[in-house]
Amino acid sequence: MMCCNRVAVKRISMNRVGRWLAVVVLATLTTMLAACSASQHGSGPIHHYQVSNQPVPPAQQIFRRTIQSSPRTLDPSLSTGVPATNVLEDLFEGLTSIDPSAKVVPGVAKSWTIRPDGKTYVFHLRHDARWSNGAPVTAKDFVYAWRREVDPKTAAQYAEALNPIVNAAAIISATLPPDKLGVTALDPYTLQVKLVAPTPYFLSVLSNTYYFPLYAPTIRKWAVSWTQPPHLIGNGAFYLKTWMINGHLTLLKNPYYWGAKKVRLQKVIVYPISDQSSILARYLADDLDFANSPAFPPSDVDWLRHSLGSQLQIAPYYGNGFLGMLVHQPPFNNRDLRLALSMALDRQVLSNKVGQGLTVPAYSLMPPLPGYTQQVPVWVSWPFSKRLTEARRLYHKAGYSAKHPLRVRLLYPTGGPAQRHFMEAVTTMWKQNLGADVVLWNEQWKVMLQDIQYKNAKLYWSAWIGDYPDPFTFMQQFQKGYAMNYGDFDYPAYQSLLAQAQADPDNHTRYRLFGQAERVLNAQEPFIPMYFYTSDNLVKPYVAGWKANILDRHLAQYIYIRKHQEH
Amino acid sequence: MAALIRYTLKRLLGAIPTLLIIITLAFFLLRAAPGGPFDMQRAMPPQVKANIEHMYHLDEPLWQQYLNYLDSIVHGNFGPSFVYRGTTVNDLIRQGFPVDLTIGGLALLGSLLLGVPIGIIAALKQNSAWDYGPMATAMLGISIPNFVVAPLLILVFAVQLHWLPAGGWGHGRLQYLILPSISLGLPMVAYMARLMRASMVEVLNSPFIRTARAKGLPERIVIWRHAMRPALMPLISFLGPAVVGIVTGSIVIEQIFGIPGIGRFFVNGAFNRDYTLVMGVTILYGMLIILFNLLADILYGVLDPRVRFE
Repeated sequence: MMCCNRVAVKRISMNRVGRWLAVVVLATLTTMLAACSASQHGSGPIHHYQVSNQPVPPAQQIFRRTIQSSPRTLDPSLSTGVPATNVLEDLFEGLTSIDPSAKVVPGVAKSWTIRPDGKTYVFHLRHDARWSNGAPVTAKDFVYAWRREVDPKTAAQYAEALNPIVNAAAIISATLPPDKLGVTALDPYTLQVKLVAPTPYFLSVLSNTYYFPLYAPTIRKWAVSWTQPPHLIGNGAFYLKTWMINGHLTLLKNPYYWGAKKVRLQKVIVYPISDQSSILARYLADDLDFANSPAFPPSDVDWLRHSLGSQLQIAPYYGNGFLGMLVHQPPFNNRDLRLALSMALDRQVLSNKVGQGLTVPAYSLMPPLPGYTQQVPVWVSWPFSKRLTEARRLYHKAGYSAKHPLRVRLLYPTGGPAQRHFMEAVTTMWKQNLGADVVLWNEQWKVMLQDIQYKNAKLYWSAWIGDYPDPFTFMQQFQKGYAMNYGDFDYPAYQSLLAQAQADPDNHTRYRLFGQAERVLNAQEPFIPMYFYTSDNLVKPYVAGWKANILDRHLAQYIYIRKHQEH
Repeated sequence: MAALIRYTLKRLLGAIPTLLIIITLAFFLLRAAPGGPFDMQRAMPPQVKANIEHMYHLDEPLWQQYLNYLDSIVHGNFGPSFVYRGTTVNDLIRQGFPVDLTIGGLALLGSLLLGVPIGIIAALKQNSAWDYGPMATAMLGISIPNFVVAPLLILVFAVQLHWLPAGGWGHGRLQYLILPSISLGLPMVAYMARLMRASMVEVLNSPFIRTARAKGLPERIVIWRHAMRPALMPLISFLGPAVVGIVTGSIVIEQIFGIPGIGRFFVNGAFNRDYTLVMGVTILYGMLIILFNLLADILYGVLDPRVRFE
């Protein structure tokens, strides 16, 4: 009897456990499904999801930011990508630097003089500029760095960025020794630079990584491992404390920096994160103070606008996305066809609906640039129906019809769903508006690059981010003989306008000539402009000294954490 | 003992041709992929490209590069990374592998501590709520991929509750390890529990257990002394490759939590055509698989006296 009773008790408790387990399982499932649907449909019923609009600032002057990926190197001469630049401009400083609005300001050079021909620059270096070990920064450090950059033995991928300097090109191709570079240290604090042609944007390129000075003793002593902490000696507002590839970098305030008194941050922690969902999660979890563009999956923009307000900073960015074409091969050797394809795209729908408002419609080459007037084709002001009529007329004139449609492949890189949806929208518009059969074809980035470079792709997605605030950085892509003129555009009028602009030291005249050149591009349409990029940043409300700017460059020396009571 | 050493040596020697095949296949397959490590949208002047290729010996004939590579790995040198300039593959593995070992080790330990007892209990209480409940949950654990579990954990414990960081490594501090280890270990708990239950049920129904019970041995002795050993056998053979899988890291978990392990090096290396990095990680993975399979086989022999090392 006792035994039976025990069994009965056991059974009852088992049933209870079973019920309890069932409840737990059900609850888990429900939570998971609810959370799944919430995370998949960002714009859905997300209002249950509470996001703090007044996050608590860190107690100290510590700034936690993201970069897109781990820098491949911290050697300024060898670095190539945006992530490395984001870190290097806090560790080093060039002759010039930039302010929070990305305007050029004096850096190591406190002043400079330019000869009237625009080809000789003399820089006067500040006497209080110091390396992070306390040694003075002198003109020789610039001479050393620039010669090293163009030296074939260094094998720097961006060596040609120094091409404006006399003899740089010849040294890179090993026809002259590095000491023939047109840069001389007249005395420890005076540097003379001779240029091949007047280059009015030269002062702005000097703030780029490949023009940074280098501290020769540390490079000689530690060879390739000089970029590892604690060997890395820089002259920026911060110095490198730790660096774990794919982990994070820790930068500490450099007490020797000439402007150290104005630098308020004590520590900068830089996280390389490429996954946009992860960046967003870490930002929302208050693990980050600044999530650098692209800071979230495009599909989340609507609810972020709604819940984060001014923490979401969308601003014009100095880059464009377009479709490139081989203009000397059929079918794109026909100007009418190129124009018809361009006019048949409804860019408002592409940017605002498909691109979630994270891009700006583009009808010509140049993104907005202060001082330069964008040139747009006349058909931009037409109603879309009129544009379509003209596009169809040109399509037929080029020899295509419903019976004989254009059949071609459009190559684009394998990426996230946003890119794919955009390309699908483009081909659908061509199908609906013209009847053209454009088939999408995607390839891994490296494979695609090779296909473009070997001229295997007739029509392909491409993008360009300007290197310096001057139209030439974009216009050059269509210059005859330029390595990146992949479409082989060589229209004579455009080439001569570009040559004239390059030879002219007066910026006003140059910009006028560039404007004319852009109008030639609009008439010839050797590429199909699609959109201008925006920078999409997330910045906590307590971050001060941060400003959205067209280059999306944000030096930590201007940034600080506003204390709680200062809000 | 002598037989065991002989067996181990024989297996290790046998691993050399296997590794050689792996290395050869990986080397030539990688080189067959279009695009090179230094190809970028910004085309390089030919002279600059030639300089770089010369620096990394990419201008030599492929067979020569292959022989040079074999020579350097015999000396334990995996070569310089092509993408992370100024860093060697040895440096990257030395940096990333301890990270994976920590997260993987924690995940494995946790899943063993949870999975094995759950499986045993389920087997002992067969066809009861103690069996159905955990086994249904385990099925759920196996079916839900970790790229769903990980963001959910982040959403709940980092974004909403602010208890734990949403990612990062934080010099290996415990709070940074918890969520990634759980995401990595959760499916393992489920596998182990189901495996353990199945083998335990089978063992409990075998004649020698019936004999032990008939002798009047207490249930505790029957389970721990007689049933446990043979019931662990399938788990051991599962653990060999599973340990490698879990320790070499799941690329998904590393990506979601921003963990600097070698899984990310491996995948990014393949995308960027970082030949030496991909080769280095491939060889490491290959060696680990061979090693842990060998360990599993040795453990088998220790647990089961019928296995002979010959």
